[in-house]
Amino acid sequence: MANTDYAYRRLVNTLGPERVARTEFDRMVYSHDFASLPKIALLQWRLYPDFVVLPQTTEEVSAIVRLSDESGLPIVPRGGGTGWYGGAVPNRGGVLVDMRKMNKVRAFDPQARTVTVEAGATWQDVAEYVDARGLALPSLPTNAMASTIGGAINSDVVGFGAFRNGATRQVVRDLEVVLPDDRVLHTARAGDAVGSYADLTPFFFGAEGTLGVITAATLRLDPKPDLMKPVAYAFKGTEEAATFIQAVVDSGVQPYHLSLLDREHFVFERALHADSPEPADLVLACLAGPKDDVADQEKTLDALAPKFRGTKRPPEEPEYLWDHRFRMYSARRMSRGLIVANNVVPLARLPEACATARRLIRRMKLNGAVHTFPMDAASAILAPYVLTDDTTPSGGTALGYVKKLGDAAFELGGHPMGLGLFMVFNLRTMHGRAAPYTAYVKDVFDPKRKVNPGKTIEVWTKYTFPGLRAVPPPAMRVGLDLAAFFRRIKPTQDKFVRAYERRKEVE
Amino acid sequence: MGLLRDWNYIEAATEIPALSEMIREALIHALFVRNDRVLPREIIADLTRAPAVTVKVKDDTDIRKLVQVLNGEESTLSLGLPAEDYNYFRTQLGVGKDREIGLTVRPRTLLTYDWLVPEQRGVQLDFSAFAALTFPEKGHTVLAQMGTPWKTLYDEAIAKGHLVPTVPTVPLSFAIGDAVCGDAPLASYDGEFPAYVNALRTVSAFGHRTRVGFEEASNNGTGYDVLHATLPLAPEFYIPVEVALRLTPKPAARKAITYTYDDPAKLSAALDKLARTSLRFPWVHVADATAAALLRPSIAPDPFTVQVCLAGTVSGLPGREKALDAALAGFKLKVADVPNPYDVSAADYDKAAKRIERGLFVGEIRLPAASAGDLATRLKALGQQVASKVGFFASLRASGTLSSFPFFDHPKDRTHIYDLSKGVARLVEKIPGAVFVSRLGHLWNEDPAYRERMRLFREIKLRFDSPHVLEPLVRP
Repeated sequence: MANTDYAYRRLVNTLGPERVARTEFDRMVYSHDFASLPKIALLQWRLYPDFVVLPQTTEEVSAIVRLSDESGLPIVPRGGGTGWYGGAVPNRGGVLVDMRKMNKVRAFDPQARTVTVEAGATWQDVAEYVDARGLALPSLPTNAMASTIGGAINSDVVGFGAFRNGATRQVVRDLEVVLPDDRVLHTARAGDAVGSYADLTPFFFGAEGTLGVITAATLRLDPKPDLMKPVAYAFKGTEEAATFIQAVVDSGVQPYHLSLLDREHFVFERALHADSPEPADLVLACLAGPKDDVADQEKTLDALAPKFRGTKRPPEEPEYLWDHRFRMYSARRMSRGLIVANNVVPLARLPEACATARRLIRRMKLNGAVHTFPMDAASAILAPYVLTDDTTPSGGTALGYVKKLGDAAFELGGHPMGLGLFMVFNLRTMHGRAAPYTAYVKDVFDPKRKVNPGKTIEVWTKYTFPGLRAVPPPAMRVGLDLAAFFRRIKPTQDKFVRAYERRKEVE
Repeated sequence: MGLLRDWNYIEAATEIPALSEMIREALIHALFVRNDRVLPREIIADLTRAPAVTVKVKDDTDIRKLVQVLNGEESTLSLGLPAEDYNYFRTQLGVGKDREIGLTVRPRTLLTYDWLVPEQRGVQLDFSAFAALTFPEKGHTVLAQMGTPWKTLYDEAIAKGHLVPTVPTVPLSFAIGDAVCGDAPLASYDGEFPAYVNALRTVSAFGHRTRVGFEEASNNGTGYDVLHATLPLAPEFYIPVEVALRLTPKPAARKAITYTYDDPAKLSAALDKLARTSLRFPWVHVADATAAALLRPSIAPDPFTVQVCLAGTVSGLPGREKALDAALAGFKLKVADVPNPYDVSAADYDKAAKRIERGLFVGEIRLPAASAGDLATRLKALGQQVASKVGFFASLRASGTLSSFPFFDHPKDRTHIYDLSKGVARLVEKIPGAVFVSRLGHLWNEDPAYRERMRLFREIKLRFDSPHVLEPLVRP
């Protein structure tokens, strides 16, 4: 392995000094994603990259990957850093490739209704670009303001619009990828059907940057709906609200988006924003289509809601919620940290899943809220979040909640989402005897383990000597079970809202 | 039956010095039409080795045992054969020690044609007797065994309060497994068949029961999406046994409305406009006069027929119909009582399928909806050129793509299939944005990116199938 000064010089020669960073602060910023990690994690992983680079072209990405052969440093691609499980965080240092400078629109074809964009563009920017040209992205991640095109594809996210138009994976037509051997490959022929022969694209959904660096994507566009109208209904409990969602799906109505936010979410929101809606278990629906069709959808929902003791909220509430839909996690301001537990559960068991999420929050003495939305007629995303304070010893133990809810999702016939660095132990539970298939794919794409190594199929540590170079995934499972246990025996309930309000009064 | 095997064979054959001077396409032609005058004896022998045994699957245990026998892990006694060892099995099948021997899946109905290189004296699995459906108590999913006829699934789902979202654009008597192991063109207005597959129950190359995907929920965020990447080539990676499908709730009201057009330009404009609205339908199908006559022989066909399935609430349907009328402006006639091809009795469905399956289908043309008329005109010209009656079935997607399946009134011999495929491929080159998706079209493709993708798939297949039992790759 060449020394890091040599690697730095080579990187600077390739990109210029302004796009290669190695200061402590820069490296620290990239040492975590949306979920911050307790300092103790540094004992196991070298979370700080050696360098942070910001390429602007596919050729530059290719050159960076090529340099890895000389330097021996692993490559870690990163988008907006909005992931949760360490997928875009180094585990053995290396070169962190921040893709956000690759954010241009390469081609827009209104006839074919496609747009080709670089991987570092945010979903919101692309949405605004196509919106100005009379078209719309079929679906958007829930964190579209910061989530990048490449990041969301790598995380296989499901977000707004998925219920009506399909999840992110149904939007992608083709990817441009720099493979670990520095070649540039298109994963599909853009004109082919999704699922046509010789289409490698699905391998990259959920790949978390471990198969190559996505540099551009061709996305499908939809016509803009004539009308989009948000409506909201309040319910007496989370289970009734979840049953209402099932009933809406069974009625055949296809809203653009349909989600449940529980009372706790609005308790947090109310503490932060006085104009936020009254706390209640709310179902927010955004209806889309021709005017008559939207009116009919609304009539159907209006008729269904009372059957579940639901009441319609005044129009300004759903409008407020829809306008603020990308700011789902502002509660983080109260606690310094926030962890989201993303899971897919069968829609048929949604009320049970919501009750489990709430019960676990209570049992682990956390402050948290339940958020869920159907992604199609059979599956729903269950994404409750919990508040944490990583500066306290109990902060990191909140990850135990993610583990326990993931276990519950398996029992319900679903699964947790994301493997990254911390959740690799779930791979075997998820896929059973098919789990080795994932390793076969990695072996073919990246036999030398150059791109984002030691994740998704294995957990590398920062040590390179035998015996310590990898953590057996079950050990991670035990660690998180322990974290959950410590949460349960914690004598007091978290009280972030009260503490925040007290702080506000003092200020 | 594998595309990878055919592709690999052609790649390997073009490396043979004696054949390297032949251009790739000439070799594909010779292989496809079995031109024995230009092919070496060894290649002719490869093409002649048809599967030696067909096993009618009644249980996935049969497949597991077969895989284990082919792997040499288990004696053939378990198959009920008076065998002592693996070599006996090979001897019985007439397979030399130097040749891979494997399993292949026989589709119930093929829309187009068989593959080039047959399973080399191996075992063919017939799933026609493996046809049960399992609907869970709650939720809109179904677990269908591979041999389940599509029509049975469709009818039973409706009876149980669901709707099968994907319907065959060309309504033949397909089994659900034909969409996984064959070329059944199942699709909806919103998307293609793979989008509705939650999981496959399979038998791996090691004889283990292996579930790929999640039966009750989508597999988002669970690592690489192996399920959907391998689905089009599934039997080369594992033996699919059952498929878990996502259904949709049965709508309160459904209605098929038929519009006819006599001008190709008006048809193009209407389809393009329809796909640019935010309306949603279960399916939108297009047929020219020849196709419409096959579907509904008792009704005099117009040059073009567009049939749209509307679904929704009883109160919402009239509004949608009004919007649909506006989008499809330019039609000659609108009729509400023309039966759709799917909501008929199983006997009527099969009768229509028998009429349609006589046509020679060459593959799929995907093109922008705005070019539908252009395609119709060019197909007509091609039909006149080859002195054949030509027609097409097509389905529209919300993305604005028209997926069309041309057919010819020609005997289904390999020479005709090849020549007509070539003719269609040339025709497609002249339509902007159009793509010819067929197995021959893929083999013709010499684009370096495509070849690289196929190479990667081959490498992945070799890892999935390290014992070489799932349609093993063959070299000349």
